[in-house]
Amino acid sequence: MAQELYQLSATEISQRLAKGELTSRALVEALMKRYHALNKKVGAFTHLDEADVLAQADASDARRKAGKTLGPLDGIPVGIKDNIAVKGQPLTCSSKMLAPLVSPYDAHVIESLRAAGAILYGRLNMDEFAMGSSTENSAVQKTFNPWDLARIPGGSSGGSAAALSAGLVPLALGSDTGGSIRQPASHCGIIGLKPTYGLISRYGLVAFASSLDQIGPMARTIDDCVLLLNALASPDARDMTCFNKNHRQQLPEVAAKSLRIGVPKGVLGKGVGAEVAAATQAAIDFYKSQGCTIIEVDLPSSDLAVPTYYVVATAEASSNLARYDGVRYGHRSANAKTPIEMMTNSRSEGFGPEVKRRILLGTFVLSAGYADAYYVRALRARSKIRAEHLAALEKVDMLLTPTVPTPAFKAGEKISDPLQLYLEDIFTIPANLAGLPALSVPCGKSGHLPVGFHLVGAPLSENKLLAAARLFEAAHGFANQLPTL
Amino acid sequence: MSQGLDIDHLAKLARLNLTADEKKLYTQQLSQVLTYFEALAKADLPPTADVAMVVDESALRSDEPGKPLGAEAVTKIAPASHDGQISVPRVVDDES
Repeated sequence: MAQELYQLSATEISQRLAKGELTSRALVEALMKRYHALNKKVGAFTHLDEADVLAQADASDARRKAGKTLGPLDGIPVGIKDNIAVKGQPLTCSSKMLAPLVSPYDAHVIESLRAAGAILYGRLNMDEFAMGSSTENSAVQKTFNPWDLARIPGGSSGGSAAALSAGLVPLALGSDTGGSIRQPASHCGIIGLKPTYGLISRYGLVAFASSLDQIGPMARTIDDCVLLLNALASPDARDMTCFNKNHRQQLPEVAAKSLRIGVPKGVLGKGVGAEVAAATQAAIDFYKSQGCTIIEVDLPSSDLAVPTYYVVATAEASSNLARYDGVRYGHRSANAKTPIEMMTNSRSEGFGPEVKRRILLGTFVLSAGYADAYYVRALRARSKIRAEHLAALEKVDMLLTPTVPTPAFKAGEKISDPLQLYLEDIFTIPANLAGLPALSVPCGKSGHLPVGFHLVGAPLSENKLLAAARLFEAAHGFANQLPTL
Repeated sequence: MSQGLDIDHLAKLARLNLTADEKKLYTQQLSQVLTYFEALAKADLPPTADVAMVVDESALRSDEPGKPLGAEAVTKIAPASHDGQISVPRVVDDES
């Protein structure tokens, strides 16, 4: 069967471009055609500057013709989550607060992608300011799961995941504070990696919770994920948490027999859907059949992860979002006579309900009389969770769990119950609290809906996680699967 | 623990105007979330928090002046500006 261009993985595109069988212009024209046919239905992109995309593609083709190609990503489109700054493009975080904003500068990862010749392709929908697990908190539009358009794609990087699984773009950037790359990746049947805290610079990423936020690659195959990761991870003095050494490495071959995989005690029990549990168990059984050692591990403080996260993340968000005051950029209320009125009215008009809820919660846990009981205790719990994970990862190479307890739910089903939505992130949150790399890999279906499993490794063990995932990918048919739309 | 939730006080600290309906809804939802947070109050925790990065390899950059965006780029994205400066409502009253 002849493959359509939109079905190609980034790695296949790269090979075709290198052989001269394909031009970047022909590729982006095919993708834009698909964008016009499907984006209204899926709602993944909030903005696509077609003239700019064509100019970038032509520049890439000209470089190739002149023998000056910039590497394997040259000419390949990468969709960008709308909280990562691209000079001259909207930077709205899917919020009314930033609706008028056009970024005056490039994020570090965008500079890196430009240097690699990648095509910066559109702005992807998200939960407002990355707060949410369904992309229903976007103030711009709804995004739907390409596997079932009545369901959510996950979030907050829901636009990125939906664009990949709808074949609208071969690669995308997401950001992950508590699962915002991995949870939508699982729901949309693609790959999503949250790197080690510090591997990728956040310069130019709109801050949500700075001690947790990471940018990461999203793709339809492991090779593609590696291709994008290698372009993103480089030192940057403008983010003081970014590592000052270069950690780019080629993917090593991993001998299955040497892998020790930890499965937390009782992880497939309470709250996990039967088919999610079965798909995860099948992944565990696969690794066992390959000669891996499966070891049960104890992470006694796992129950504290969600409350700890929602204290730390909202506290940091209430502080980070204090900058939206209507003074320097973004929305300014037309109804204000005094500076305080300007700030209060601008914020009240600009922020949506979930953002207000989290700012209020973060304000409470930091307020006089409550900070010790909530914020300081959450920091202590975070230390304990991290210590338990690091201790477990001395005995095993990685931890394996489901990515999300249940498959994608129906649009509107949980929007009125914030606590239920917060529990979507129960397996993904510990990696953010501990600063560890984590990956979601497609491993089957629950009915017609994709299910992913989740690998968490020691700091800077991205390559080991990706190699283990590649073993699984090579033996199964889940890579680069697209639903019929 | 959640009895201390004074929504008017929080809204003032957070610089948000809330309608009566919003106040009711957020009070109810936040109380529910705070009840869920009670696991933290009961947990046996280490006496202090270790807030260092998991890999401590970051470093402060050298303290050299960089190139700022410049007044034109900054005022271009500002909601209101005048003569290359961002304008805001009057901060100081005439009488004071």
